Amino acid sequence: MGLKRRDFLKIGAVAAAAVALGPKVLKAMEFADGGVTASHVTGAPRVEAVPYTCLQCNVEDGGLAFIENGRVVKLEGNPKHPGNRGKLCAKGNAGTNQLYDPDRVLYPMRRAGRRGEGKWKRITWEEAYQELAARINEVLDRAKAGKGSPNEIALHIGRNRWFGFDNRFMNALGSDTRLNHTSICESSKKIGMQATWGPDIETPDFTNTKYMLIFGGNVYEAGYFHNPYVQRVVEGRVDNHAKLVYFDPRMSNTAGKADEWFPVFPGTDGAVALAMCNVIVSSKLHNEAFINRWTNYPADKLAKYLEQFTPEWAEKVSSVPAKDIKRIAIEFALAAPRCTTYTYRGPAKHFNGAYSERCTMLLNIVTGSIEEKGGYCLPRGVSFKHPQPEPPAPKEKSELAHPREYPLAEHKVSHHVAQMIKEGRQKISVYIRHYYNGCYSNPDAETWREVYLDEKLIPFHVSMDTFMSEATALSDLILPETTYLERFDIENMPSSIETPWVGIRQPVVKPLGECKSYRDIVLELVTKHLDPTGGRGVKKYFDYGTTEDYIKYMAESVPGVKEAGGWAYLKKNGVWSPKPVDAEPEYGLYKKNGFGTKDKKINIYAEEWARHGFNPLPHYEPIPAHEKMKEDDLVLITFKWNVHVQSRTANQKWLAEIIHYNPVWINAKVAEKKGIKTGDLVRITSRIGYMVTKAFVTEGIHPRVVAVSNSFGHTEYGRLASLKLKEKPEWATSDDPEYLHVFWKDKGAHPNFIIPVSTDPIGGSQGWYDTVVTVGKAEPGDRYQDYKVDMEAARKAYEETLRYTYSGPDFRGRAPGAKKDGKKKSA
Amino acid sequence: MERDDQHYVGEKEGAGRKVRWGMVVDLRRCIGCHACSVACKAENDVPVGVYRAWVKYVDKGTYPNVTRHFLPRLCNHCKSPSCVRVCPTKATYKRGDGAVVVDNDKCIGCRSCMTACPYDARFLNAVTKTADKCTFCVHRIEKGLLPACVQSCLGRARIFGDLNDPGSEISLYVGRNPVKQLKPSTGNDPSVFYIGLEEYVEAMRGGVTSIAGTEGALEQKGVI
Repeated sequence: MGLKRRDFLKIGAVAAAAVALGPKVLKAMEFADGGVTASHVTGAPRVEAVPYTCLQCNVEDGGLAFIENGRVVKLEGNPKHPGNRGKLCAKGNAGTNQLYDPDRVLYPMRRAGRRGEGKWKRITWEEAYQELAARINEVLDRAKAGKGSPNEIALHIGRNRWFGFDNRFMNALGSDTRLNHTSICESSKKIGMQATWGPDIETPDFTNTKYMLIFGGNVYEAGYFHNPYVQRVVEGRVDNHAKLVYFDPRMSNTAGKADEWFPVFPGTDGAVALAMCNVIVSSKLHNEAFINRWTNYPADKLAKYLEQFTPEWAEKVSSVPAKDIKRIAIEFALAAPRCTTYTYRGPAKHFNGAYSERCTMLLNIVTGSIEEKGGYCLPRGVSFKHPQPEPPAPKEKSELAHPREYPLAEHKVSHHVAQMIKEGRQKISVYIRHYYNGCYSNPDAETWREVYLDEKLIPFHVSMDTFMSEATALSDLILPETTYLERFDIENMPSSIETPWVGIRQPVVKPLGECKSYRDIVLELVTKHLDPTGGRGVKKYFDYGTTEDYIKYMAESVPGVKEAGGWAYLKKNGVWSPKPVDAEPEYGLYKKNGFGTKDKKINIYAEEWARHGFNPLPHYEPIPAHEKMKEDDLVLITFKWNVHVQSRTANQKWLAEIIHYNPVWINAKVAEKKGIKTGDLVRITSRIGYMVTKAFVTEGIHPRVVAVSNSFGHTEYGRLASLKLKEKPEWATSDDPEYLHVFWKDKGAHPNFIIPVSTDPIGGSQGWYDTVVTVGKAEPGDRYQDYKVDMEAARKAYEETLRYTYSGPDFRGRAPGAKKDGKKKSA
Repeated sequence: MERDDQHYVGEKEGAGRKVRWGMVVDLRRCIGCHACSVACKAENDVPVGVYRAWVKYVDKGTYPNVTRHFLPRLCNHCKSPSCVRVCPTKATYKRGDGAVVVDNDKCIGCRSCMTACPYDARFLNAVTKTADKCTFCVHRIEKGLLPACVQSCLGRARIFGDLNDPGSEISLYVGRNPVKQLKPSTGNDPSVFYIGLEEYVEAMRGGVTSIAGTEGALEQKGVI
């Protein structure tokens, strides 16, 4: 190779100078790779560029918004951003679709008809604030009088980018009912990692590695951190000749382009990883010195423990051939220390998710590739300080936020909340929902719908939302929120191994309509309406000035930011990093202060898990529902497309035109046996209901697995997502003439109604990929997109999952392997 | 929509040499992510339903030995373009720097060029009612900027530059890697080259269009 393309970032200044000289003297190598652009209509350079941080998904890439006449005309990657290095993915490129969606909710509205009837009345912010403040104050007054609890006020946030601002708000009110979405995201991965080495994420050194062993982390399309990581994966593979081996029951783009793809049976990644560890250790290819010095479990004892996990056993469990398990294990270990695993939701979104994550981590631990060049590294991040004073944590714990059955699930179990509210575990008077499409994004989505519709269970439902989502449609009051291009925020994702960074969002254009940012809404609510005099003791925590002041405080609390020019520098550049974009990574970070665990070592043995009766060692736990599978049963999994996120991109035209529907992937041989062809209507039946969708027959899926993406099947979210192109909502203030060119007539069918709750007893995470189903041709009378849920069965599934929690009756019966270690359980 | 692509005239001379813009797409680096497809839409206001840049997907093999292959596509800006030969109004023409463009004022929307193009690179723009296709982002390259698809490419699979400059990155890339053009038998001599094309062509034989390619929308093919 000649010059590496990354080197061109360095010559950005040269290219800019060349522009000034005129294009005639340009050579191709002097092209500017980002940072400037031109109008395709006039040819004129676009001079106004405002940096921002993307939030189409949660990777937080840096971007530049080019503005003409007050309108965003193009989004491009920010070349100064150490994560995405000037590149935006398809979603990032389509950000203006979100900003200028004609069906955005731009004004505060109050429900006019029955809840969910779709009738709205536009009101003023003043009216909206007063109503919400009165509702909250009613609870606070009642609580003060001893006739209620501040916990009746719930704040449910999905995509949370607020860095503790939600805690400030709720703690100031005295409510602990702060709910989140992490349990439908990757929380069991976090729990598995935190117990092992402290941080909840890894940073594989893809650029410099020789061997990438990826379990259920579709880095070519999604995951933390898709865009930054896939750039480095390509560098590693093409420039450094690294090998990529990939485990996933479905042929994602990562699988399809991998050197080797193994369609592993869902939920058995842990078994494969343990067998590989066994092969490595029994072949003496492990790094004994590292294990003995830096972990809490001796190498010889570990070797003995691993003996039970033979490749032949793992083959039976996982359907990955034993000979391949042996071969890959040895290849991986021979590449050490330049070998790394990477996982995302594949192993984690199962009943055994937290266990599985520890098994895949162990591959890096036994080979000693931790914090080595080309190895498996710790996240590189910075932390922020917050304006003082901060409110103390509420005294009374919320059952919804901290269900007693899940003591280790520190990222909460919020997908249980609908069932918990239904069973009266906690009273809710005010339910404030933000960036969270509860009755679309959760498993058992129909129960969420039922609870959201029930005014006895949720007497007052407030939405802070950008769009009329399925959940917003079931609310009483809508506070229109800005998109990520119209507000101040701060970010610090560890998406670059080269350097940590601090990035900001700022309004690149004035917010549309009367939209306000979440931070501004809370600030105005508290200081002007809820506690204007400070008498309630809430206001004092919001005395920090403006939202911009607050973000500025946080940004400048990072050592080095002030010296670089502080807030002004960040507004101009969008991002600050202590080291340049193309810095050489530093390794061995743990050598100075150890790991982020109590004893500063890697905890192969997780003491706290033992205390609760869980197996403290990396362990494979069979999934109860899978153990009982009959011959004709299949496992339903869900997945993300490269051009969509789960619930909030189907409305974006440039993404929807690429993919806008979600037929069920079914293995060709299985389909043939059932007489199913691509396009046929099929019925998928789970233990809680059935759905009717179309089939996509493919060679690219495990024969015991079917897959449906959950990005589609909207009934709301504007005209495009719901494909009601001619039904202009009453709140919509504009039209998109482009909708005339929409050629597709299929918006897909949503699978979450028939996916039952199945929760990891340790991590508290939803087992999205645990659902056992049967699939057959549609029955007479079945129409596309029909679905039916047996609410009683849905309830039973929830109750059954509770039986497997550490205090549940089925937990002890399964005799989790703590005994195998020879240690007594102390729980 | 105001369009004046026809104003892009004038030859690019660099150090007394004639410029020939070209692109190499290194399929080893392509991840099929569609950043190019969407960046091009945003850059050029390309209407919904049509593409100037797109990515084809093909799956090959039988379970479990299945692979997926991507082919990013765009106008080939041929050295000897059949579209230019058939245009009755000379609306489609080849610039001195090698980019093939359409003069919207002269185009009568007769679709001759669409039929003649062996690469399916052209469409009728429903807004302008004229033939439309990739311009190599001439408005950007004239300002010293990479085409939008190249700028946005996550895998850095696209290399753009002057094929006539022996020191340019693209020339070095072509010199150091075996490159192939699409359908060389047409004699059109494309300015877009691929690395790893033979693997894609091999996959196409007996492969099936996959679900998430831009043109993989199965209902457009009448499958669903």
